[in-house]
Amino acid sequence: MSKVVLKDVHKQYKDAHVLSGIDMNIEDGEFVTLLGPSGCGKSTILRILSGLTEATGGNVMIDGKDMKKVPPKNRQVGMVFQSYALFPNMTVYENVAFGLKMRKQPVNEIAEHVEKMINLVGLKEKKEAFPHELSGGQQQRVALARSLVVRPKVLLLDEPLSALDAQIRKHLQVELRTIQRELKMTMILVTHDQEEAMTVSDRIFVMNQGKIAQEGTPFEIYTQPKTEFVANFIGRYNVFTKEQIENLLGGKMTILAAKYAIRPESIQFQPQTSSYPIRAIAGDSIMNGNVIRTTFHADNKQFTMEQLHHQSSAFEKGTEYQLFVEPKDVIALS
Amino acid sequence: MAYQENEKGFVETMKKFTIVMLILIGIYLALPIFATALYAFSTEWNKTILPEGLTFEWIRTLFQDARFIEAFGRSVLLSGSAVFISILFIVPAIFVIVLYFPALEKWFQASVVMVYAFPGIILSVGIIRFYSGTSLPMILAVTGVYVISVLPFMYQGTRNSLRNVQGRQLMDAAELLGASKMDAFRKVLLPSVYPGLFVASLLSFSVLFGEFVLINLVVGSRFETVQIYLMAKLSTSGHIASAIVFVYIVLMGILTLVMATLTKKAKGMRHA
Repeated sequence: MSKVVLKDVHKQYKDAHVLSGIDMNIEDGEFVTLLGPSGCGKSTILRILSGLTEATGGNVMIDGKDMKKVPPKNRQVGMVFQSYALFPNMTVYENVAFGLKMRKQPVNEIAEHVEKMINLVGLKEKKEAFPHELSGGQQQRVALARSLVVRPKVLLLDEPLSALDAQIRKHLQVELRTIQRELKMTMILVTHDQEEAMTVSDRIFVMNQGKIAQEGTPFEIYTQPKTEFVANFIGRYNVFTKEQIENLLGGKMTILAAKYAIRPESIQFQPQTSSYPIRAIAGDSIMNGNVIRTTFHADNKQFTMEQLHHQSSAFEKGTEYQLFVEPKDVIALS
Repeated sequence: MAYQENEKGFVETMKKFTIVMLILIGIYLALPIFATALYAFSTEWNKTILPEGLTFEWIRTLFQDARFIEAFGRSVLLSGSAVFISILFIVPAIFVIVLYFPALEKWFQASVVMVYAFPGIILSVGIIRFYSGTSLPMILAVTGVYVISVLPFMYQGTRNSLRNVQGRQLMDAAELLGASKMDAFRKVLLPSVYPGLFVASLLSFSVLFGEFVLINLVVGSRFETVQIYLMAKLSTSGHIASAIVFVYIVLMGILTLVMATLTKKAKGMRHA
């Protein structure tokens, strides 16, 4: 069992509060993502978990054991860094074998485990190559293999895919998830890419300014954002004030909130049962892969509507249209 | 269109001018070295454009002179010791500051600037006045100054290498894989920055090997180095003096070649 618990964790550098009251319960074998903009404190959480940075306050427990006085080398926590941090003086094989050698494992066992791990990440042909002879994707695989081979209780991934191009990144996201399921290992990924977080995670912690803004499954986070920050960060939500939404939908809101959000794809061209009508003037349409995004204006407020390319209705710029949104898709934000 | 042609013509002219200037500077710098080397191998070269004959006599005489061998040994010993002490004490301090206390780097940089700010003559007078009344041998005082005077080279070389390989992350990664700080330093960090460190050491060595002012003013002929020996020979035999310069140039050439090879190797590691 490798349950990770953070209880009221704080981190402060002089007067700057990097983390404030972080509480997390991560279950054994769970794939959790810390999602947030740069500087929100997500990487600091990984460094505190690994022991590379000391928390100013609070507790970190792994498998029920308080980690306060446990040095990084004894925490059994692996980490894949954004820049991979491969040892430039060692070959792929030596890099992967390093952790096992430090643990003084027998030579034949080291060879067996290293070969197995190199095969798992598909680098059999490159085991004698040095890091600078590998592509970014291959270096990332070596970093992953090096961390996995020592069988850590928890694997921390600090934006490991951010330096790769889109195609390789998408491929490795799937591969990462497959390996995690195969090994049933607890993994914590840090990213600012909401699509990546949605693809790989069992659960997402959205962070902002050193605090957890919201936690939940990818589905919960995406469909039920609690704050304006989460709504804007996780998707391209249209956010309205109470006055704006009442003007737009032509009725009083039953749930009182400071702001309301509507997902661009929940705005429809065809009416549904009990849906609100919206009258708005079409602006520009932008094609984004399989999605067409159209801007509309109504009552001095701009909002966007997204439709799948093959079912999209062509909107003429400057023409007024009747659009619809279902009451359940109007989300009250705190 | 005319503007583009004019611009192209100007670029071409500038290119030719640059090449000509480089060749002229090259000749200006190489000619004395070449002439000195040739003089070291000439039998007689007084009334003719080229030497009257070539010989290995001066080089052979030089290496048969016990004073030269001793002076050479002293130079190697003095420069080598200073560089060795610097590696032993200053380099670890640079490692710790760059990796774990980057806020302190500004003080290190200030010290580096101070090293450049003090001319050799000021240093010599300062050392003589400060240490002459103490029991500390002056040669040790000079060695201490040498250790400090190579600080800029050691600092720049070590710091750049550490930054190139992202030293802090390498240490962190090694520790998380179960290595102690000492293991991480010895097995990962040191071999990774070794080429840069070696280049800095060689550069420091070659600078110290050519140092004359400090050693001559503070210790004088009591501790004859290659440079002092060279000064003495300048007034007795031009051929021998040229032979010393030739040997010195060859040694520096070898060191430069080693440095260039290692720098190339270090660049290969940079992408990791």
